[in-house]
Amino acid sequence: MAEHHDQHSIHYKTYLMTWFWLLVLTALALGVGYTHINATLKALLLVCTTLFKILVIAAFFMHLRYERLNLILITLTPLILAVILFSFTFPETLGNATHLIRVR
Amino acid sequence: MDSTLTEQQRILASDWGGGKSPFGTSWSKFMMWIFIISDALTFAAFLITYGFMRSISPEWPKQTEVFNMVLITFMTFVLISSSAVMAMAVAAARAANPKLAFRFLVLTIVGGLIFLGCQAFEWTHLIEEGARLTHNPWGVPQFAASFFVITGFHGFHVFSGVTILSIVAIRAAMGKYSGDGVENAGLYWHFVDVVWVFVFAFFYLL
Repeated sequence: MAEHHDQHSIHYKTYLMTWFWLLVLTALALGVGYTHINATLKALLLVCTTLFKILVIAAFFMHLRYERLNLILITLTPLILAVILFSFTFPETLGNATHLIRVR
Repeated sequence: MDSTLTEQQRILASDWGGGKSPFGTSWSKFMMWIFIISDALTFAAFLITYGFMRSISPEWPKQTEVFNMVLITFMTFVLISSSAVMAMAVAAARAANPKLAFRFLVLTIVGGLIFLGCQAFEWTHLIEEGARLTHNPWGVPQFAASFFVITGFHGFHVFSGVTILSIVAIRAAMGKYSGDGVENAGLYWHFVDVVWVFVFAFFYLL
């Protein structure tokens, strides 16, 4: 592992570029948040920018691009759980479920 | 029989036969990843629950009218920047430069403290306006409840991160640090950043 780390121990420039692109993506997400578009499209665009941002953080800051495939794969489990939870609960909200919560 | 390997020999020769690290990492880094994954499961559950409550609510307050979005954007900027500085601290520690690593770590801690200060300010402001876990002046009670639970849990993670990084920084200053130690603390700090990316997008912007 030690010799593996020597090759990429001083990559400050990469980190600066990563930082720059994360700020660009944040600005993009802010832009999406402030435009008046269809709520579903907005949610979809925000999911895309967010996934892209976490991909960049994981790959460059958390060095996941240097790790083995099996470690990369197990980090996907929370995302898979989120998709399962979402697809199990979201159909419940499509009917006339608003009576469950009242404004005070 | 002599030339072909038995089943047992094949298993012992594989990555899982013992004496090897199948994930190609040190044990401490692997444990940190396992912790991060379990913590991410918690936040996934929080955010999906928030989404569910929001979609069954008749209406949801407009975040731009409740929150100071300039402050939230500034907090996002600070956390992303501190994450970048943390990555540089890991690089400095790997390059056996404890002095530089210490400086980067201190900068990271300062970023975390600024974030916590902003969050304390935001919470105080909202509580003064009448936001509580059970009710709030803007609409459904679930609005403030999910706000306090999600940002509270995240804020506590930032606080833990600042504590861990302070210990690592002190150890770096004493020369008692290891590249692995700094990297593991860094992994946790980047994870806190990842969670905030989700909270920022889905709680404040959506």
